[in-house]
Amino acid sequence: MSKKLNSEPLGKLYNGKKTIKRREWRGLRDTLYDYKCWLGIMAYLVKFLTNPQNLKGMFRYRWMINNLATLDFLDRHTAGARGPQLRMAHLEYDFIIKHMADNMAAQFKRDQNIGGSKKLSDKTVIFDENMMSQVMNGFPNLKAISREIPPIFTGSTMRQDSEIFYIDVSEQYGIPGDVCPMPAAELGVAVQDDYPEFGCCILNANTTCDTSLMGNGIEQRHFDIPTHQVAVPINYTDPNVNDYSAQEIKDAIKFVEDQTGEKFDWDYYFKCMKIFNQETRNFLEWLEVNKTDYPQVVGNNIAPFRYAYYMVAGGREIGFLDAEKKINKLMYKAYENKVPVVSEVRHRAIVWGVQAQYYSHFPAWLQNCWGIIPLVDMLSLTSTKIYSEDDKEQAYYDMADLYANMVMRNRSEGGYQVGVEDLWRFCEEFRADVVIMYEHIGCKAVTGYHGLYEEQARKHNVHLIWVTHGLMDPRDASRQSMRNDVNRYMRTVFHEEPLDPSLEEFDDSNAY
Amino acid sequence: MDTLKKVLIGTVSAAVGFFAVTFTVYFFNLDSKALTLLEEPLLKHYEKVDKQKTNKNL
Repeated sequence: MSKKLNSEPLGKLYNGKKTIKRREWRGLRDTLYDYKCWLGIMAYLVKFLTNPQNLKGMFRYRWMINNLATLDFLDRHTAGARGPQLRMAHLEYDFIIKHMADNMAAQFKRDQNIGGSKKLSDKTVIFDENMMSQVMNGFPNLKAISREIPPIFTGSTMRQDSEIFYIDVSEQYGIPGDVCPMPAAELGVAVQDDYPEFGCCILNANTTCDTSLMGNGIEQRHFDIPTHQVAVPINYTDPNVNDYSAQEIKDAIKFVEDQTGEKFDWDYYFKCMKIFNQETRNFLEWLEVNKTDYPQVVGNNIAPFRYAYYMVAGGREIGFLDAEKKINKLMYKAYENKVPVVSEVRHRAIVWGVQAQYYSHFPAWLQNCWGIIPLVDMLSLTSTKIYSEDDKEQAYYDMADLYANMVMRNRSEGGYQVGVEDLWRFCEEFRADVVIMYEHIGCKAVTGYHGLYEEQARKHNVHLIWVTHGLMDPRDASRQSMRNDVNRYMRTVFHEEPLDPSLEEFDDSNAY
Repeated sequence: MDTLKKVLIGTVSAAVGFFAVTFTVYFFNLDSKALTLLEEPLLKHYEKVDKQKTNKNL
């Protein structure tokens, strides 16, 4: 129990219950910093719940119960962190939690189920949670809201059993049990009438995948408002699809204009894209530092924040950029001081495949238990292009490119080069000796690559550790079984001992 | 002067008291533990929520 990394056996904080016994002691300075951030989040959540409309939402929607685990979620994603990494984590996660609370408040304010404002509702475009939102960069008078994010996407990271009820509802409705739990849960929420009711129209997409598209089709019967599907090409790396893709974007913009009476505002679009481009530059700086011997923004400190500003905010929210400026300052200072992110660097890893939502804090475990540094993950390795800030015709192609490079699909679709070859390129650039290869049982998108990865990893002298999971359904593969996949490899192939033996096996089966 | 002293002592005591209570809650994770107690009653409540549009068009 001190300011040193790995000074406390973190696995001993678990006792088979929903929450940990106590919070970790990170040394006086870091513990007080963590306490200060905890107070800030508590105050924000209390403020959220004192709003009568939010309180109505709390009592109307079953999935709101997931948010009881908000503070536990924060603890899990900052586990073991010290010094600058702890501060970066709080800059990101505290912002994300507040962003989430604001998203829910915006939904409840418009929600017709609980007496929300019809006027606001009519100025709202609903977005698929698996969809880039840059089309809305041209509509400053409209609000884009992903209705599915609080019940499903973030809910499933808050607590591991969050989606089980809705997945079961979906199966009872007649959906086969072996489909991806994400669209299954989305449908389950619709069947239960547990979506807030608002919005003048819906924009959907075939991103991430066909299952998501099929789910949207059924859900549409429930929502019963005008809907437009953006069909993003699968083989998007082929330049022959560019004109088609740009036309899809034009059609989506026209749909929003027709439904709302608003006109696409190019000035606002380019203003947002300037912010988006700056965010990309910042991200590239993170990656450059991570290629050195002293990586700083790693694991849990990359992923959720990157997804949020890249896909959900899309350049429309300056708050992300403000947080990044502070993160970059911390990062460079820590780099100059050669601050380590693990107590002993054993392995440098690239995380590939789609992560388990119910174990989104898995990278922190890799660091704390085995000294594996997750330098970057596949879902964050989306587009890093700098897009036009003044050319209107080019902008359609830019938006099309971004939609094709949506977080969960830009490497699972798009073919061999982006799905397989790029992995080895990243291994070389980041000098990674390990790939943590997530395998989502319910996803068939990269099944065909399995043998290729195995074969080529040997050729590239990279250790491939497969970690099987069920995305949003921990009944298919528990957190411990995910840990066992790594434990087994570390012991039998590397013959290594864990940095924190208490983390090798512990009971978090009932934990949030 | 006495009043100022009293105000000062009162403020410091309140701050120390606030810190002692909230830090105890924080360190022993009493906030999350207390919130778990709300789950059962909330789940029972959700079962009773009147949903006019359940299964609409589905």
